[in-house]
Amino acid sequence: MSAHRLSSGGLVDRSRSLGFSFDGLDLKGYEGDTLASALLANDQLLVGRSFKYHRPRGIVTAGSAEPNALVMIGKGARTEPNTRATVAELYNGLVATSQNRWPSLKYDIGSLNSLLSPFLGAGFYYKTFMWPAAFWEKVYEPFIRRAAGLGKAVMEADPDRYEKAWAHCDLLVVGAGPAGLMAALTAARAGLRVILADEGFRLGGSLLSERVSIGGTAPSTFVETILSELAGFPWVTLMPRTTVFGWYDDNVFGAVEKVQKHIALPSLDLPVERLWRIVARRAIMATGAEERPLVFGGNDRPGVMTAGAGRTYLNRYGVAVGRKVAVFTNGGSGYQAARDLAAQGIDVAAVIDGRPAAGDNLPNGIRLIQGGGVVKVKGRHRVGGLLVERSGFEESIDCDALLMSGGWSPIIHLACQRGAKPYWSDEKQAFLAPDVGRQLLPAGSASGLSGIGACLRDGVAKALSALASLDLTATSPDVPDVEGEYDASFAPLWYVPGARDKAFVDFQNDVHVKDLGLAQREGFGHIEHTKRYTTSGMATDQGKLGNVNATGIIAGMKGVSPAEIGVTTFRPFYTPVSFGAMAGTSRGEHSRPVRRSPLHGWAKKNGAVFVEAGLWHRSSWFPRDGEKGWRQSVDREVMNARTNVGLCDVSTLGKIEVFGNDAAEFLNRIYSNAFLKLPVGRARYGLMLREDGIVYDDGTTSRLAENHFFVTTTTAYAAEVMTHMEYCAQVLWPDLDVRFVSSSDQWAQMSLVGPKARLVLQQVVEDDVSNEAFPFLAVREVTLKGGLRARLFRISFSGELAYELAVPAGYGEAVADALMEAGRPHDICAYGVEALNVLRIEKGHVTHNELNGTTTPDDVGLGKMFSVNKPDFIGKRLSSRFGLTAADRLQLVGLKPVDKAKEIKAGAHLLKEGAAPSMTNDQGHVTSACFSPALGHPIALALLKSGRERFGEKIVVWDKLRGEEFVAEVCSPVFIDPDSQKLHQ
Amino acid sequence: MNYVHRHVLEDLITGFEGSSNPHHLAVLKRPTVFSVLARPGREADARNVLANLQGVSVRISGPGEWLVVSEDVAIDSLARTLQDSGTGLFDAVDQSDGRVVLRLSGPQVRKILAKCLAVDLHADAFPVGASAATQCCHAAANLARTDQDTFELVVSRSFAGFVFEEILEMGREFAMTAGFSAG
Repeated sequence: MSAHRLSSGGLVDRSRSLGFSFDGLDLKGYEGDTLASALLANDQLLVGRSFKYHRPRGIVTAGSAEPNALVMIGKGARTEPNTRATVAELYNGLVATSQNRWPSLKYDIGSLNSLLSPFLGAGFYYKTFMWPAAFWEKVYEPFIRRAAGLGKAVMEADPDRYEKAWAHCDLLVVGAGPAGLMAALTAARAGLRVILADEGFRLGGSLLSERVSIGGTAPSTFVETILSELAGFPWVTLMPRTTVFGWYDDNVFGAVEKVQKHIALPSLDLPVERLWRIVARRAIMATGAEERPLVFGGNDRPGVMTAGAGRTYLNRYGVAVGRKVAVFTNGGSGYQAARDLAAQGIDVAAVIDGRPAAGDNLPNGIRLIQGGGVVKVKGRHRVGGLLVERSGFEESIDCDALLMSGGWSPIIHLACQRGAKPYWSDEKQAFLAPDVGRQLLPAGSASGLSGIGACLRDGVAKALSALASLDLTATSPDVPDVEGEYDASFAPLWYVPGARDKAFVDFQNDVHVKDLGLAQREGFGHIEHTKRYTTSGMATDQGKLGNVNATGIIAGMKGVSPAEIGVTTFRPFYTPVSFGAMAGTSRGEHSRPVRRSPLHGWAKKNGAVFVEAGLWHRSSWFPRDGEKGWRQSVDREVMNARTNVGLCDVSTLGKIEVFGNDAAEFLNRIYSNAFLKLPVGRARYGLMLREDGIVYDDGTTSRLAENHFFVTTTTAYAAEVMTHMEYCAQVLWPDLDVRFVSSSDQWAQMSLVGPKARLVLQQVVEDDVSNEAFPFLAVREVTLKGGLRARLFRISFSGELAYELAVPAGYGEAVADALMEAGRPHDICAYGVEALNVLRIEKGHVTHNELNGTTTPDDVGLGKMFSVNKPDFIGKRLSSRFGLTAADRLQLVGLKPVDKAKEIKAGAHLLKEGAAPSMTNDQGHVTSACFSPALGHPIALALLKSGRERFGEKIVVWDKLRGEEFVAEVCSPVFIDPDSQKLHQ
Repeated sequence: MNYVHRHVLEDLITGFEGSSNPHHLAVLKRPTVFSVLARPGREADARNVLANLQGVSVRISGPGEWLVVSEDVAIDSLARTLQDSGTGLFDAVDQSDGRVVLRLSGPQVRKILAKCLAVDLHADAFPVGASAATQCCHAAANLARTDQDTFELVVSRSFAGFVFEEILEMGREFAMTAGFSAG
C-alpha cells in the first residue's frame, strides 16, 4: 500500500461510505470524494493507458486539466467515455472502467507500441500512410480509426434528458475561489444580480485544499460563512457543478451545469445536464491558476503528480498519495507540499529543487537537494524510486510517490476566446490575460497574483472596478488576515536535461521532448504548426498542462523568449461539453419545429400521406383501398380534378396584408409587372426579381380595397419575401406610406379545382359565383351559407376552372368537410401536393424548380411580365446587362419522350444527338418531370439553350446517375389547354 | 350550415385533464387578436388610441406595430372599434384564428420560460405590463407579463403544437399542467 486514506482530516464525510467499482473491483469511498480521490484512497495508482504508446498512467492533477485519468463511467446506454476521474463526483453505485487497453489495464497488448516508439515519432502517420494511394480507404483509414480514440461511445440512444436555458445578471463571477467569493460578496452586498458559477461540486475553489487560517478560522469555515451570506440574497444565484466554457459576443457566456451527473439513476423530470447561456453586463474571471508539470525522464509514471494535486488529495480528501513521498520543484509550491505532508506525519523522502538556491525553509529532518534534477523514475505501474542527478553525480532516492511543481500558469482561456492573444510576463514567467476591456476582468491568481490574501483583496478590487464601470459604488467588505501563507514564487525550468526515459510534454497525446525537436527540424517550428505536427495540445485537455511547457521548450531550442513563441489559439470549449447538452431538447421529432396546416386534421381524416416540406407537414397524396403505390393515387387525383372536381390544401402559401396610400406604388416597385392600375376586386399573378434581374419569387396579389392589397408568396419563400419587403420599405423607400403584416396563419385556404368546381362552390357560398358575376381573376369577400365570412379568389394553378376559398383557420376543417360533402354527388376527391405538381407541369406553370436562382422572366417564358414601361422596379437595371439578354440562354421548354415508355427524370441533362456528354456540349437540363395522366405518357419541363426556337427538335435526355439515355422531342411547356379556355368557362 | 370552430390544440388537450397544478399552462379558447399597424408618423397617436380601448391588452410587436389581445371583446366588435378609431392612424388585421394565446403561471414560471426564450424576465427588466417580440422554442412569439407570476405568449397557429409540447417539456421539472382556460 502506498496511497492511503488518513484516519482524520479533509472535507469528506467519513460517516457516509459510498460503494463504487473500478474495472470490476468493488471499492469504497466517502461522500465528498471525487472518483480520483477515492481511487487513490484505495491505492489504485494505475488508472489508464496512454493514447499512442499505451504507457501505464496515473492521476496527475486534482482538477479539470487532467490528461491521464480518463475513464468510462456508467453502464449500458448511460456509459460516458473519457470522463476525468478528477472532477467526477463519487456516488453510491458508480461504475468506472478504464479505457484504451486490452485485454486488461495491467496487461495491455498495445503497450508493444512502446517498443516501436523509435518509428512512431511525430509526423509518423503523415509520412507513412501516403502511398500507395489505393491503400488509404481499405487499409490505412480502417487501421487508424481502430487505433485512434480513447473511450468508446455506446451505440444505444441516450436515455436521459438535457435542457438549455438563459440567465441574465449584472455580474457573472466565474470561479468560487478566494477572488471569486470576495468579488461576488462585494457585488451582492451592493444589490447587484450576481451569478457565481464554479465547476466544482463544492464551492470554494483552492481554499478547500489549503491549511491556512483566514481571520482565525479554517478556510472551509471561511467559505461557508461567505456562501451562507450570499445564499441569503435573493438576487444572487449560486451555481456549483457549472463550468463556464465559453465567452461569446455581447458578453454572453456558455456554461454547462451537471444537474444529475452525480446520481446513479437520474430523475426523468430533470435534465442530467443543462446548457446555460448567461448574459452578463460584467464578468469577473476568477478561474485560478494551473500548476505546471516538470518535463523529466519518466514523468508519466503512475504516482507522479503535481504538488498542488498532492496537497488537494491530502488536505481536502484526507488521502496521502504515498508513504514515502519525494518532491521535485522549481519553486515554493513543492516546499509547501513537503510541509503539509510532514504535518500529517507522511515521510518525505527528499525535496529536489532545480534551483541552485532558494529562500524557502523545510521542516527539520527533510533532506533538500538543491540544483538537482530527476532523470528517471523507477518502477512500471507505480513509482519505485528515483534517479536524481546533480552536476554529474547520480543518486537513487527511495520513494513511492513523487510530487512535482514547475510553477503556475494563470487560467486565462475565457479572456482569449474572442481573438485576443495572451502576453508573456517575464516577471511572472507566465502568459497573462490580455486587456479585453471592462466587460471581463481577470481577478486573483487568474490575473497572475499569488497568495490567498492577495487574491481575496483582488476579488474586492475587481468587483469595485466592475461596479464603477456600471456607474455604481459599493462599500468594500473587510478582508480578513491570512496566516500561514507560503512563498509561491518559482524560477523557470522548462526541461530537465539528462533524461533516461521519455520526458513527456503532453501526457494525453504522448508527445515528448524529442517530438518537439523533430517538428523544429522538419519545418514545423511555428507553435500552431508544432501543435498539428506533434499533436501536442490536442484532444480532450487541449494542452492545459503541457502547452506552456511546449512553448518554453521550443523557446529554449530556438534560444528566444517564450514571448516570441506565443501560444496556440484558445477556443471554446474550456472543457469537453456533451452533445446531449448542446442539443438540449432538440432531438428526435423535436429536433426542429414542425408546422401544421389548419387543414391537417381534415387531410388526416381523408387518409393523407404527409411529406415534410421545410418545416411543414403537407398532405402529399390520398391513397384509396386497392391502389398500389403513390403513382396510382396521384394519377387518379389528377384525372378527377381534370374531369370532375378536386380539393387541395393550399394554406401553407405565404400571405401578407399590405396597407397604405402608397401600397400600389410599393408593389409596383417590387414586382416586375404592373400593379398600379390593378382594379379593386381583382387578382394578378406577380413576379418578383432580385436586384440582379433573376426571378426571386412569384404569387398572386389581390386588391381588396383601394389601399389594401393581399400578397401571396410560395410556401418556401414566405419568410424571405416578407424580409425582402421589410428591407425595401425600411431601407430603400422609407418615404412611402406602406405597412404590412403576415397573415399566413390566419387563413385556411383550399383550392377547389375542376370543371365541376362551380357546382360545388355554389352549394356552400351565398354570393353569386357565376362566370359573369365572378369571372377569372375575380376576388371578393363572400358569405358562406350559415353566415361565415370568407375570401374567394378565382385563380388557377392547375389550368382548370378553379377557386381558392379562404376561411378563418379554426373553421378550415369544417368548411373543407362541407365542400367534400357538397362535392360528393360530383365525385369530388381530395388531392395532395404530388397531384398539384403534376397538374401544374401539364399546364407549364413554374415553381422554384424553374425559378431556381439562375433564370430571368424571359427564360421561363414570362418575358411579357417584365414591364419595360415602368420607370423602375427591383431588377430592372441589371436585367439589360450582357449575358442576361443573350440569345443562347436556357429557356423553358416541354419534353416528350419519343419512346412513350421512357420516364424522364428531373436532373437529367440534354445533349444534341450524337454529341458526347461534356460541359461544352451541354444543352440544358430537366427541371420538373412527371407522368402525365392527361396525356398518358411521361412529360417534363426543361431549360434548354435557345429552347423556344427548337420546338419539334429531337434531343437526347442523358441521365448518367441512373444510367439512362434516350431521345425526347422538344415542345411547348404548356401540354394542356394552350389557349387557357378552361380558365374562363 | 353551421361550422364548428376547432382550436388547433384540441388534438393535444383532451379535456380530461385533472385539476391544475401551481404551475399551469392555460390555453385561451377563443381569444381576439388583432395586428395594428400605425401610419408612418402617427405612431404616438395610434398608441394613445389603443391605450384607451376598453377590455383589451396592447402588446408591442415592432416599431409602430402592436398586437391587441382580448378575452372579452368579440372579434367583430373589436374590428369595428378599431376601424372607427383608427381612421388615418392605423390599419388593423384580424389574427384571432392565426394566433394562439398561451398563459403560463406559477411561482417558478420564470425558470420555465428561461428554457424557452432569451428575454430577461426579472421584474426590473420586464415588469408587469411589459411585452416584447421574441423567439420561443424556435418559433416567433410575442411575450407579455400580465401579472407578477403570469406571462402570456402569442404564437402562430401553425407552430402552436410544437411550442405547446416544448413548453410542457420544460415545465416537467415543476409538474406543469395544461388545459384550455376556464374563461
